[in-house]
Amino acid sequence: MTDGRERVYCPVCQAKFRFIDGWREGDTVVCPICGQRLTLRSEGEAWTGDRVDAMTEKEIRDRAENFAKLRGYSFTDIKEEIIEGLVGKQRRFGDFYCPCRMLHTPEYQCPCKPTRGGDVERNGRCHCGFFWK
Amino acid sequence: MEEKVKVYALSTCPYCKRTKKFLDEHKIPYDCKDVDMLDDDEQDKVLEEIERISGKRAFPVVVIGSEVIVGHDEDRLRRALKL
Repeated sequence: MTDGRERVYCPVCQAKFRFIDGWREGDTVVCPICGQRLTLRSEGEAWTGDRVDAMTEKEIRDRAENFAKLRGYSFTDIKEEIIEGLVGKQRRFGDFYCPCRMLHTPEYQCPCKPTRGGDVERNGRCHCGFFWK
Repeated sequence: MEEKVKVYALSTCPYCKRTKKFLDEHKIPYDCKDVDMLDDDEQDKVLEEIERISGKRAFPVVVIGSEVIVGHDEDRLRRALKL
């Protein structure tokens, strides 16, 4: 039963993904697009996910690990420096934006829209060199 | 006298840090602007300047005389600085 609410909104990638039968309100799920851990919340006829560990270093670490796993990407030795940069962006600009860009809009939250859209497949790496193929 | 080396960087960017470290290690004096730490008006002005000289908004940007180096590139830095 999908109950007419077969999609879940992810506030990180601002997209909806498929609701899996058996999920319940309060469950923690992983967004299959960006890797964010989300707590399911029913919003009228729709589902939305609330960010788990929102705005913490743990949140971005978990998201990045999940995203890499989902896509089969790897990190390089610069990983910790990038994490430090992401945390700096969150402190200064309010969210985990690409540390190597001067763009602070939702589409440039890590993993950024170009990366979610296949930049790593095209270029072998993302703009910041965080994710590698 | 040659013009001082200019660096445009972001405080959160690891490659910018490496470029600055490289220049420090080679005792090259430079003026650095961490663009994300500037106030809004100054930031807009500097971002436009970066786009004008490098054709994009990527970091770091190093200006050595007439040479503009985008990204952390030690080989190009060495060549431009005759190290």
